[in-house]
Amino acid sequence: MAVDRRKVAVFSGAFVLRLLLVCLFPSLPDLLTGRVEVSTPVNSFKRLQEGLFLYIRNVSPYDGGVYHQAPLLLPLFALLPDVKSSPFPTAILYFLVDLLNAHALSTISESGQSVKSRLHSAMRKHIRWDGVSIAAWFLFNPFTIATCLARSTSVFTTTGILYAVSNAVEGNSINAILALGFASYLSLYPALLFLPLVLLCYDQQSQTSKTPSYAVYFLQHAAILLGSVGGLLGLSSIITGNLWEFISATYGFHLLVPDLTPNVGLWWYFFIEMFDSFREFFIGVFWLHLAAYVGGLTARMRSQPLFIITSLLGVFAVFKPYPSISDASLYFALLPLYRHLFPLMRYTFFAVAALLYSSLLGPAFYHLWIYAGSGNANFFYAITLVWSLGLSILLADSIFAALRDEWEQANPESQGQEVKQI
Amino acid sequence: MTNKKGDQESPKALANSTSQSATQRVPPPETSEAIHTRFRVIAAFWAVIIFLGFPIWWKTTSIYRAHLPIQEMVDWDDGKICRPVFPLEIHVATPQMQISESQHLLRTTQHTLDDLNEFAAHHLRLKPVNDTSASTPDEEHNVDAIGNAVEEGAEIALTVRVLSQEGLVSPRSELHADTTQLDVFYPPNHVPLPSSSNPPLSAFIAKELQGLYSEEKATIGHILSGETAGFDSESISRRLRRSMKYADTYHLSFSLFTPGPAPSSWDIENAVKEYLSPLLHAFAPISNFTIDTQVQLYATFSPMAPPPVYDEGEAAWTLRKEDLSAFINAAEWPLNPSIGSGPTLNFILYVPAPSQSPLVVKENRASSWIVPQWGGVYLLNPTLLTDQSGQSNPPYLTHESLRPAFMTFSHQLLTLLGTPTTPASLPLRLQTLTRVRAATLLLSASSTMGSLARLTESLPSIPIPATVASSVSTTLSHLSATCSYLRDGRFAAALASARVAETEAERSFFEKSMVGQVYFPDEHKVAVYLPLLGPIGVPLLVSLLKEVKRMIARRKANKAPAASN
Repeated sequence: MAVDRRKVAVFSGAFVLRLLLVCLFPSLPDLLTGRVEVSTPVNSFKRLQEGLFLYIRNVSPYDGGVYHQAPLLLPLFALLPDVKSSPFPTAILYFLVDLLNAHALSTISESGQSVKSRLHSAMRKHIRWDGVSIAAWFLFNPFTIATCLARSTSVFTTTGILYAVSNAVEGNSINAILALGFASYLSLYPALLFLPLVLLCYDQQSQTSKTPSYAVYFLQHAAILLGSVGGLLGLSSIITGNLWEFISATYGFHLLVPDLTPNVGLWWYFFIEMFDSFREFFIGVFWLHLAAYVGGLTARMRSQPLFIITSLLGVFAVFKPYPSISDASLYFALLPLYRHLFPLMRYTFFAVAALLYSSLLGPAFYHLWIYAGSGNANFFYAITLVWSLGLSILLADSIFAALRDEWEQANPESQGQEVKQI
Repeated sequence: MTNKKGDQESPKALANSTSQSATQRVPPPETSEAIHTRFRVIAAFWAVIIFLGFPIWWKTTSIYRAHLPIQEMVDWDDGKICRPVFPLEIHVATPQMQISESQHLLRTTQHTLDDLNEFAAHHLRLKPVNDTSASTPDEEHNVDAIGNAVEEGAEIALTVRVLSQEGLVSPRSELHADTTQLDVFYPPNHVPLPSSSNPPLSAFIAKELQGLYSEEKATIGHILSGETAGFDSESISRRLRRSMKYADTYHLSFSLFTPGPAPSSWDIENAVKEYLSPLLHAFAPISNFTIDTQVQLYATFSPMAPPPVYDEGEAAWTLRKEDLSAFINAAEWPLNPSIGSGPTLNFILYVPAPSQSPLVVKENRASSWIVPQWGGVYLLNPTLLTDQSGQSNPPYLTHESLRPAFMTFSHQLLTLLGTPTTPASLPLRLQTLTRVRAATLLLSASSTMGSLARLTESLPSIPIPATVASSVSTTLSHLSATCSYLRDGRFAAALASARVAETEAERSFFEKSMVGQVYFPDEHKVAVYLPLLGPIGVPLLVSLLKEVKRMIARRKANKAPAASN
């Protein structure tokens, strides 16, 4: 495959931009690392440093109660030189991971899966961006840049998810599931993407070769997922020596949400206010709420598995326990694949305005609350509500557009008419 | 690559679009596939709710109520299970009498005692000992004996030695101040004759014993009845008001306050060791103690307090009795209200400024007083040093000079801990205190059990953790142990059990997870569930109902053609 000049330009441009930012503003990475919008307890680079410090000194990294990330990250970062004395190797690793993600995105885009799958073909497939534009959209998204500079470990989860999808659209179902296993191992919640991902693989493979029935295919891949996660857990237990301690410190932390540090999500404020005796119940409710969308969306949008994955990523960015802007940036990365749906969306202005409004006012209100002391927690919480509202409107609107697209296909004569609820 | 021409519509979409009739106004009928999809979506949501949601709801909100022996707890509170009795064993040694004589003496004395006693729960049992030497060697350490008398058999409350003495007209008695021994001397001609039914010696001994235990009897009677009964209940309740509430551990805080720069140090460690430790050691079976000390220089009177006045007649600075309550400058003197778990007893040693020395209380020239339920104050007027600049306090207080102060503090401590004022023997007073405390704790633990039982009965929605159940069973078993120890006259063991019972009872009653729920009535659950689950639940329920309705309609429609055929 010949080297695409535009692609090289975009990728090197993104790399140089990040490098320039780090060189011109050496304090920027540390500033971003400390922001609650970027760093949550489960992806913070600061906490990774703490875990790394303990790990290098042969103490269990989970002993301090600060580190809640997967243990396999530790040997990786132990290879890199100390980040305080030489920050560039770590920074460049993150830049490269970003470029990898962008590459996976462009692969997904170029497969054309978003406009035409086995069971569905969009009405307006001529309206679309090519892979390089989508990669550029991802690489130059300020949320992505902030996440990358803050060295949040969510980028590895992002890589896992994007490679799972890109392998799936290419028909490499085993690689796809292995990548998903890696992402699930890091952050737990990507395991919810298993169902649509298997459907995507199934659709791709059944176009080219003969495939077994749904149930058999599903079970095979579930076994692969379990095997890959089990293998990674086994490796982790070799590293930490104590499997249970690591599981309760990482997945237990994800599931039970003990750290209520403010973030852009909805959980922290709710659980600060919650009566203690109902805490467990509502943690269950919140997790089920998150998981319930998988079945419903999969059943409704069966013909467009990639769109299910995109929408679920949007749902996660709003409703997962420790969301950060990196989750939003992943959703924003996949959304342009559905450029052809944009004309059908009705509230784009409102959603984009809400998102811009909250991303500008969020840091300001956080400052008012924490540093200036002239505001209270409700200031920041209100902004996180607006942020979630913006994302939810975008999400709902895009799902509406996808459904409308399907409907127009079924009823071509009603194209362009107003919608009426009946 | 981007724009592929020649769209291949999926076969299904083509089929749908061709089969669709072109009616503009009426909404197009739903295809069966759309109906199916909708069914699957609703089923997917409800599957999550039914198979995951309900188990989680059941698991996380079910209230664990450990089983409590409610009836037994209430019975303890009502006093149905245990009627505390205090049989005191008194050994009587009659070395100079014949066996028959002494037996007769004992019998008649016991008779007289039983006649005198109007409070059945507390009675004295006389027992003859012929080997006088057996009881004497341990007498020196009888204070310790309270602590380790957990061996089998009743404790010896008192040893009476009946001795004849020449030259006496009538019997007289002598109580040893530091042992549990009462010597009774009688003129030789007073040896009771076997024929006399009420010899004067028996009457004398009975009266003496009755007098020794009258205050204890009144106190226990006061505690058990819980109301004002008896002749000197006024003085008893006054004494109980002055003493601290019982605690497992007390904190003693000794403070030296002086308005000037001297004395700036004191030999407190030796003073405590020498004057106080023996007493605290004797108290060990009843309570534990922790001690801290402090020296505060330039500690001034509070501006509100009336200053001392110089009294020419007394040649001393005097404080009026009614002004003593304002003496302690609570705002500025660092007197810690509480350290650690137990209550704090404060003892203040005040050394007045040389210009105001000596300082005494006006009315009775006393130099100390007690602050009820709080501590004691002692005014120490050391001999002043004189040099060219004038008089000054000595910079250092030796433990000799602290002696009177600590004697007073010991006395105040006894009072604050509720020790009775009579009899004169300290071991006897401590024994009395042991019995009084055992009775108090028995009653208070029982009533805590009753309250806990009523609480759990009246609030069926509060959880009862397993720890509470185990605390309750520990309490009940220790309560019955206390009761049987009391019956056997083993009071030290009874107090030890009662202490455990009281601690466990308090722990079970103030269990954190229970108390939080007390203020959470059932109606509040609506407010907890509805705001979130209402908005989520209504669309889910409505869609489920619609779907069910549709399915019923379809089944009817299917049946109708079958019937018409």
